[in-house]
Amino acid sequence: MKLIDCDVHAQATEPMLAEHLGPWARAQLERYGRRTPRTTDWYPRARNGGMRVDAWPDKPGHIWGSDPELLREQLLDEYDVDYAILEVLSGQDCYDHPDFAREWNHAINEWQAETWLGFDSRLRGTIAVAHEYPDLAVKEIEERADDPRFVAVLLPASAAEPLGAPKYWPIYRAATECGRPVVVHTGGYVDHRGAGYPSFYLDYHVGNGIVTQGQLTSMVAGGLFEEVPGVRVVLTESGVAWVAALRWSLDAAWELMRADHPRLTRPPSHYLDEHVWFTTQPIEEPEDPSHLVYAIDQAHLRDKLLFATDYPHWDFDSPTQALPRVIDKELRRKILCENAADLYGFPRERPEPAATAGVQAS
Amino acid sequence: MSALGYQLGAVDCDIHVAPAAYSDLLPYLSDYWRQYISEAAVRLTGVGHAYPPGAPVTATAQARERGWATPPSTYEQLAERYLDEAQPGHVVLNCLAGFDTHRNPYFSAAVAGALNDWVRETFLRRDDRLRASLSVSPVSPDDATAEIERVGDDPGFVQVLLPVRSDLPWGHKNNHAMFAAARERSLQVALHAWGRAGRSLTPSGFTTTYLEDYLANQPIAQAQMLSFVSEGVFERFPDLRVMVTECGFAWLPTLLWRFDKDWKGVWREVPWVKDLPSEYVGRHFCLTTAPAHLPPEDTGRAQLLEMLGGPAMLVYASDFPHDHGDSVAPLLDQLSAEDRAGVLQNTAAAFYGLDAVRTYTSP
Amino acid sequence: MRVVVAPVSEFPPGERRIVQAGSRSIGVFRVGDRFYGIRNRCPHQGGPLCRGHLLDDAVADAPGRPRVSENPLRIACPWHGWEYDLETGQSFMGARQAGVRSYGVAVQAGGPLLAEIEAAQTGEGELRPGPYVAETFDVRVQDDYVVLEV
Repeated sequence: MKLIDCDVHAQATEPMLAEHLGPWARAQLERYGRRTPRTTDWYPRARNGGMRVDAWPDKPGHIWGSDPELLREQLLDEYDVDYAILEVLSGQDCYDHPDFAREWNHAINEWQAETWLGFDSRLRGTIAVAHEYPDLAVKEIEERADDPRFVAVLLPASAAEPLGAPKYWPIYRAATECGRPVVVHTGGYVDHRGAGYPSFYLDYHVGNGIVTQGQLTSMVAGGLFEEVPGVRVVLTESGVAWVAALRWSLDAAWELMRADHPRLTRPPSHYLDEHVWFTTQPIEEPEDPSHLVYAIDQAHLRDKLLFATDYPHWDFDSPTQALPRVIDKELRRKILCENAADLYGFPRERPEPAATAGVQAS
Repeated sequence: MSALGYQLGAVDCDIHVAPAAYSDLLPYLSDYWRQYISEAAVRLTGVGHAYPPGAPVTATAQARERGWATPPSTYEQLAERYLDEAQPGHVVLNCLAGFDTHRNPYFSAAVAGALNDWVRETFLRRDDRLRASLSVSPVSPDDATAEIERVGDDPGFVQVLLPVRSDLPWGHKNNHAMFAAARERSLQVALHAWGRAGRSLTPSGFTTTYLEDYLANQPIAQAQMLSFVSEGVFERFPDLRVMVTECGFAWLPTLLWRFDKDWKGVWREVPWVKDLPSEYVGRHFCLTTAPAHLPPEDTGRAQLLEMLGGPAMLVYASDFPHDHGDSVAPLLDQLSAEDRAGVLQNTAAAFYGLDAVRTYTSP
Repeated sequence: MRVVVAPVSEFPPGERRIVQAGSRSIGVFRVGDRFYGIRNRCPHQGGPLCRGHLLDDAVADAPGRPRVSENPLRIACPWHGWEYDLETGQSFMGARQAGVRSYGVAVQAGGPLLAEIEAAQTGEGELRPGPYVAETFDVRVQDDYVVLEV
């Protein structure tokens, strides 16, 4: 095994998803479009339109991330990827009517299954859900549970409530019951209310690494990890270096406020050790690369880091270039493939070369 | 160190005082506002949600036992409960009562003015070791600017006090007149933990536990730091410095790694940010040492110091009467005598120009 | 090695060609009447540099007062946006500093903030070099052909 890419964005156009909608939802889409304001409108991505310029397919009707052939060429073949896990973000900011949300996320998963997961045996999907409507989300998870090509449940890193809130526990429970980790991916409806709305994409983008701190705090403080004992959470596209300082803060705060949290029988750092993984992109780049190793070790992340390119976004991490040399060979192997193989139950050894026609849903 | 863990003779950059009730402020308010307070049954919540009387952070067990859970509201209380024990060289008093959640900008401005008059009268004129943050309305930049103009020349005030939680990030252009007024009077700015409740304090909805609220000061302070840099505040006001108070500091190095990296990609959006963000932060920010939230072992602490590039941005604060259950002492123990003196006194003295400030005399 | 890229008449200003010269992919750009050759590989993480956007210099006279200047174009990597001078291959970070840095120290209390000193903006100020340098190549016109020298 060489490389498992834990954050890849297949991106559908609206017509591509509309094909998988029922007539009512399709009519709603045609009449009103998507109703939620997009963060790409509030904070236009000020470099290269937010995407690798070279990842725009030369095919009419296609956009970055919509063409499996280009993705295979530019990512899977280029970097000799063993597995790539797709996160389709089209439903993350879906604050439409629940009936529409249900159909929209269902369409995302149908599109993944039909267009991608059968296309190449290296591709795996994540189950998009109407996260603000946990009953509907659980139904979608249960529907996909028997398809082994879907390897995780997808949540956005910003939602109507903090992600540790009891409202969302049924989603974590359903994911865990069918053996899937929960991928919490940057984005969603980011309502900046602590310091107020920043003016620039720069702040918003750096803020992606800050938002997740609150979410992790919520998960710990709210007792999620006691409530759903086997849950596994993958914090995705938030960076990794910030984790240590939050661990120290969480443990210090818990020492002071233990009496308020009877559900927590262990210090917060224990729950992080047991339940939380992190994808690497966008990996932080200290001027002294050995400081990155400090940050990783201080947060006990050697077995928890999962490599991710974030293809086709502009700040994509190249698998051959992004990890600094100071990361030793053993840690490099863990990050590039072993940790993900263990988390997702992929075999540690590459299977015999097979036809690239995809794995069938069982 | 004193018996209760204070660093003797230090410049202590975060000490809390507060009026006991609105009655303390009435002498400094107009008849109209006195009537308003009475008719509307306005409570001096200040930051009641931040330091509820029974909350662990509000005060140490010893303080509680002696009935000292709330911040001092008289000089005698301050002396008895803190000054006599800690024997500081200088103190920066922070009164957070103006952080309230009401939206009436005129009331907010009046309360800020009353608080400043109360602080001057009650504390600053009594003891020339004392300095204070200048309260301003957090909902009206015009009035904030006017208040800085009104009392900012008083040598007892060293900085403008801003709550870390805000409607718009503090670096936003709407606030720049306030910074201009501050700099004209050689005042710095403090970003202090807590602030306006009434809106959720995360980008993802309302928190339900005090622990989350308590720790949220740190990501919010980080977002504010981004704003000061990206909005070009330090290009406009090259002498302005910001004291991040009671929001921790261990998060700083890794934030700057990310901030620098992202700037390298999207600097075109903010072309006035000409230097690396970390360079601006290093020149313009200091952070107080309570809460410390240190790594649990010496190796980690040494690494943290290395990642910070040394202790030059750290400034000692006891945060009396609050209790974070920890201490910065293990980090200080790793420092040379000179660096220790920096954290305990010299950095703050330079930050506030303390040598240049005349001994306080009554207005 | 010399590579004949195209007849000049078929290579108008504003266009670019990416050509293979041995093992190297090289981008040839025409800006006005000048030609530039730069390696199609960003030294940062190996992206296809020459497929990126050509951009004018960005300058800011003050916060909120951005403009573009008429300095030579830069090629920005289509991935992370590292920008390189077409002629020298030097990377740069941050905006060009305006000719004279103005500090808003003359602000009147309560007066308009934008009474900052507006020095004669020459646009000739400093750029901050970045850590990467892309390989550049000579490109000439010979006998009405654009020729790349590798």
